[in-house]
Amino acid sequence: MSATDTSTLAVQAATSATGRRISPLASAKLKQNLRWTNWAPAVITFVIAAALWQITAIANPYVIPTIDQVWMSLIKDADTYWANMLVTGLEVAVGASSGIIAGFILAIIMAEFQVMERAVMPLVVVVMVTPIVAIAPALVVAFGFGMTPKFIVTALVVFFPMLVNSLAGLRDVDDRALDVMKTLHASRWEIFRDLRFTGSMPYVFAGLRIALPLAIVGAAVAEFVAAGQQAGLGSLVTIAAAQANLPVTWASIALLCLMGVILISLLALVRKRVLWWSDGAAVGR
Amino acid sequence: METAQPHAGVHIENVSKSFGPEGARTLVLNHVSLSIKMGEFVSVIGPSGCGKSTLLKTVAGLIDADSGVVKVDGMTVKAATKNKMIGLVPQSPALLPWRTVLDNVRLPMTVNPKANANRNLRDPREILESFGLGAALDKYPGQLSGGMQQRVAIARAFVFDPSVLLMDEPFSALDEMNRDAQRLGLLDFWQSNRKAVMFVTHSVPEAIMLSDRIVVMGAHPGHIAEIIDVPLPRPRTIDVYATDEFRDLEGHVRETLREVMGQKSA
Repeated sequence: MSATDTSTLAVQAATSATGRRISPLASAKLKQNLRWTNWAPAVITFVIAAALWQITAIANPYVIPTIDQVWMSLIKDADTYWANMLVTGLEVAVGASSGIIAGFILAIIMAEFQVMERAVMPLVVVVMVTPIVAIAPALVVAFGFGMTPKFIVTALVVFFPMLVNSLAGLRDVDDRALDVMKTLHASRWEIFRDLRFTGSMPYVFAGLRIALPLAIVGAAVAEFVAAGQQAGLGSLVTIAAAQANLPVTWASIALLCLMGVILISLLALVRKRVLWWSDGAAVGR
Repeated sequence: METAQPHAGVHIENVSKSFGPEGARTLVLNHVSLSIKMGEFVSVIGPSGCGKSTLLKTVAGLIDADSGVVKVDGMTVKAATKNKMIGLVPQSPALLPWRTVLDNVRLPMTVNPKANANRNLRDPREILESFGLGAALDKYPGQLSGGMQQRVAIARAFVFDPSVLLMDEPFSALDEMNRDAQRLGLLDFWQSNRKAVMFVTHSVPEAIMLSDRIVVMGAHPGHIAEIIDVPLPRPRTIDVYATDEFRDLEGHVRETLREVMGQKSA
């Protein structure tokens, strides 16, 4: 059996596993992605970065911890980290999803009624240029040390990129497809349902790619200013840093980073399922 | 069949249209009048800027004329679009990439469904099969060649049985070999589904091959310079290209176009 045969088999397996047709183009892409020249460079970069880190840490024990110190801390206090990660995760989940939904809905309203864009967009911009780090303490005063200010900060951070990207996506329809719809006397709703909604998805996902890492930033910043009873990884960072506890500080940072990586990977997976049509050859434009 | 309805087809009367801001308006269409009978195939040809696409868009209801009247089967364009009487084939296929070929062709049925009553809706499968796309029903536009995509777009315009078909240079993006196949395919299908067709093109042989009449337009401002009859017998095949009549007509159309272009530079 030649190499080509096995890779074809691999592709067939992938097709049946996901239960979705994979175009010849996509399967060729898959093969390409699995080739070592594709992933090896990144792995090598990570190994080099880790080695440099380790050398620096050993030479400067009071600046950064060694990787094994961080690892030991993670193992030893796994329960604490897990509990804090859940808190931050909840903030991100609730805050981000409400910010995403609100941003998308407002984008739809603005796309359909230009007056709304003229009326509301200036206010949105004013709120968005206000530094979130400055808003966070004010929100704590207003809503206390509970979860509410954290949800609000996270939602706020996510809201703007979602709004702007979704709006651009809803506006950027294929003019000629729009002409066809108009000649059929399609209603606004029909144009939205058949053309704008799905057509906006490439932009929506571009927005999500910006918004989701920002959501973690938002949650962490909210925790910095208002630790509260339920700590979260952001609070853990500030508390540990104040005590110059380097392993705990960096373990918490690493977990925040891990959360971001997980979110982005999940997003890439969903994107592949939803946007399979936008990656192939240029279509109908 | 042409006499079944006195107003059947497209009637354009004295249509003028200008674009641009107040004070700097350019006249794009200057008192254009044209009638296309039911079952008649009319091509519109002319240099760029002659307003041929604007004229088509006016009939499609995408642009409002400044003055003049456009009627489709005796109705205003607005009423005609409400009744889904106009099929549009744009310059690019403009298919929805997330829908299968079949679902793209079904689109006109699901949009504005009120107008579906009392009409001879066609079976999307059947129409695609007659277009030689029977094997592509469940494929996505991205998996098709440009020629196949354009055929899907034509099927989408035929499927809901409109009275008038408007085509805006539908084959202009295809290579010459492919274009011939598409032209013959369109002609073949139209032969048994005689609609009033307005076909905008910039290819002289294409206009002669397809049309009953060729409308030659001139620019600055856009106007109809001459309407040339194409008395070639139907059904036409690829052999038409080799006939003397075809060559004479081609000479005539090109000569007219040259005169039109000459006016522009004078």
